[in-house]
Amino acid sequence: MMIPPYFEFQNAVKLLCGELALERIASELRHLGASRPLVLSDAVLAKIGTLSRVTQAMEAEGCPPADLFTDIPVDSSLLVVNRIAELYRSGHCDSLVAVGGGSVIDTAKGVRLVLSQQAEDILSLAGVENLCRGRHVPFLVVPTTAGTGSECTGAAVIRNDKTQVKMEFISPFVEPDVAVIDPRMTQGLPPRATASTGFDALCHAVEAATCLQANPLSTAYAHAAMELIMQNLEEATRNGSHREARFAMAVASTMAGIAFSNSMVGMVHAVGHALGGVCYVPHAVAMMILLPHVMRYNLSHAGDAYAALLPHLIGYPQAEGVPQAERAEAAISAIGQLRESLASLTGLPLTLSEAGVKEEDLERVAWVAINDGSLIVNPRSADEEQVLAVLKQAM
Amino acid sequence: MVKHALQRLTVAVVLRIVHAALIELRHLDSRVARELERLPDGASYAIHASASGPHLFVVWQDAHLRRVAGLSQAGCAIDIKAMPLAFSLFTGQMGLAQGYARHAFSVAGDVGDVMRLARLISLVEAYLFPKWMTRRILTDVPHTECSPLRVYARLCAGFLTGRYKLYFTETTPAP
Repeated sequence: MMIPPYFEFQNAVKLLCGELALERIASELRHLGASRPLVLSDAVLAKIGTLSRVTQAMEAEGCPPADLFTDIPVDSSLLVVNRIAELYRSGHCDSLVAVGGGSVIDTAKGVRLVLSQQAEDILSLAGVENLCRGRHVPFLVVPTTAGTGSECTGAAVIRNDKTQVKMEFISPFVEPDVAVIDPRMTQGLPPRATASTGFDALCHAVEAATCLQANPLSTAYAHAAMELIMQNLEEATRNGSHREARFAMAVASTMAGIAFSNSMVGMVHAVGHALGGVCYVPHAVAMMILLPHVMRYNLSHAGDAYAALLPHLIGYPQAEGVPQAERAEAAISAIGQLRESLASLTGLPLTLSEAGVKEEDLERVAWVAINDGSLIVNPRSADEEQVLAVLKQAM
Repeated sequence: MVKHALQRLTVAVVLRIVHAALIELRHLDSRVARELERLPDGASYAIHASASGPHLFVVWQDAHLRRVAGLSQAGCAIDIKAMPLAFSLFTGQMGLAQGYARHAFSVAGDVGDVMRLARLISLVEAYLFPKWMTRRILTDVPHTECSPLRVYARLCAGFLTGRYKLYFTETTPAP
């Protein structure tokens, strides 16, 4: 394993993992000095009862929500963040609890930034490692998908409706205080969402282990996450009530989150963010479509790093039998096989055209993608034409 | 202290050369022209080579890349964390992507603006640095659309005629 001349690693999130984790939220809030939490979620989770499972656990342990906000859209926006920050202030809340997937958690991170920096507009806080610590706002997250890893990352991606661009806010101070990984939260997740979000976690692990910012610590997390995903994602998709598979996927997603929070992601995410911003392709679906195409694009520059993934994807004994020169290709094939198996189980799209992307949008997507921060650490640089070529292959 | 002062002086000079090279390359390289002309009017960059080091403030205004004395708030501000890091970044020892990967600088503003700057800097490096150096610091070395000697000649002419100044006090007021 290559050790870079310099690297940084941070994960300050306390993890509550496993049985009865939800029931410990109230206690954690008290330890953080909070008693009036604003709970953030989305309308679907409110409707299907996932949110009430959390709020009931909080109430039963003596810390009911001071207020609820469940209007967070699938792709959250800067405006929503500013609106919630206002609600927090007017409701005299003293902490945030986010219950949801990537959009809810990233929105909550944005709200936390606005509050802790005492800003009026989240837009004024955009940047990379540019903020000071600010005021402490106790912040807990309860992920309801096993994929984003956002519960453990120092980044928030929030859509700017005006420019149709997903903006990045990268700072260690967006990391939550506590992440609650309770397998009950993902048990009701439908197979399609299970498969695509699980593949998103795989994508985090692959990009974290192979991009320019990879370091020994983040790579260790990424490799371990990959092993758990390859062993459990199909089972969790096929049999949603399989508790062990669900829990393993939740842990894998968190580990992949820790990995990419400390080594960034790459071109798959740059293009995926652009597809989300311009064409509204759900993030996890974009990841599933793009990963093998981008790996092929990167192969000339990341062959050794891809080869090193193979034992973690197919197991050590099987990888032993593959000649070194063929390992990178074999790693891409293993990922391709998982992708096809998940698509046949769930009907998820494997091409951009199946996902509703139109040919005429591709140029705009390519332009937005080359301005996405994730591209800077991709193992191979890419200009507009090269991104366009990858997009056309994925059509 | 002497080493620090020399690094400071070198970075100050290179920052001015980078600005001048961008202006010259706009006429010599279609990609530089395209990148610059896609910038919104009023786009501004501030590069601070460490907290107390030299800096470069530029504004894209009326289709010209102007260097200015200061900016009350740059659209994109890049703060390099220490002088030795700035020295490595501006003397071809570390590329911008490597600098990002090694947390050499922080950014205030839209990360997209850094990506635009990174592409421009890569093109400048492809002309100003020898191949053996660019191969080490860039994941892919961009091809050159004209001879680097032509760029050097235009830069020399610009500095000799006083169109660009190596060491000076800036007179263009901040917008």
